[in-house]
Amino acid sequence: MGYVRVHASVREYDVFARKARVEPLRQVGSVVAPDDDLAMAYARATYDEERWVEMMIVPRDAVIRLWGPGESER
Amino acid sequence: MSLYSLVKSLADNKQLLGMRYAEWCTAAPSLEADIAAAAMGLDDIGHSRVLYGSLRELGAPDTAADEGDYASVPYLDAPWTDWSQFVAANAVLDSAFSLMIEALANGNVEVLRSRLKKMLQEERYHAMHGHSWMREVHAGDAVARAWREALEWFGPEDQEVDELLRQGKLAYGVRDLQRLLTERAEGRPPDAAIDWSKWDPVRRRTAPGAIDQATRDMLQGLAEKRYMPAGSG
Repeated sequence: MGYVRVHASVREYDVFARKARVEPLRQVGSVVAPDDDLAMAYARATYDEERWVEMMIVPRDAVIRLWGPGESER
Repeated sequence: MSLYSLVKSLADNKQLLGMRYAEWCTAAPSLEADIAAAAMGLDDIGHSRVLYGSLRELGAPDTAADEGDYASVPYLDAPWTDWSQFVAANAVLDSAFSLMIEALANGNVEVLRSRLKKMLQEERYHAMHGHSWMREVHAGDAVARAWREALEWFGPEDQEVDELLRQGKLAYGVRDLQRLLTERAEGRPPDAAIDWSKWDPVRRRTAPGAIDQATRDMLQGLAEKRYMPAGSG
């Protein structure tokens, strides 16, 4: 079943978190929202089941990929 | 009015707000909003439990009726039928309740100072959710109603809430609450003045009526019992 998007314009955000300061941040999921406020509210609502000491979100379009799986290092 | 009755009303409103949020956990416009509705509902029901749990240390209710009945805003009497009502409650009423929590958390009553601060961290996300959805949804009528009922719930100037401010139990008086709500919530205060002669100081509202029977049943767990196997209820 297709899911209808309700917002005219949305951004995808990746959600990063860690449980202890000595751990690296890892990607725990993503959210789709029209702005940073709602993205923060959604990230917190969706991924707060663990005792994270830190959580942050990054708009996916702000991420610059150097290379991906199957591509040689450039 | 005693501090007890104010906190009891805050707890009643929070419990009902949490229930109304939760009712939308499969009906919001997107999956993300469904999850947020469920999470905010859990937050507010949790807050109400902490607030009810603090009452024991705050003295006695003003009247016997205060104990049994819900001292809640009319906005929460019946389930919402439109997402715009959710958004307006989220953007205005939830912020009004958070301001009162802030006033109590920064007052001189130790039990409230120590227990209420965590709620404000969680409420930050409710406010962001409300702000953002207000940009998406035309919730004019619902926002006007939410504003009016929030101001009624703060109560009249120079009476009970302002007396609690003078005693140091609250960090804000009525004017502070109104000003801060204007700064933080969406929309603006209604033009029409509130008829305080109709205001019920126990239930903190001017409109008659109360939560509907379905809501009452739900709160008492009767609605769940209907789905239990025969003989186990």
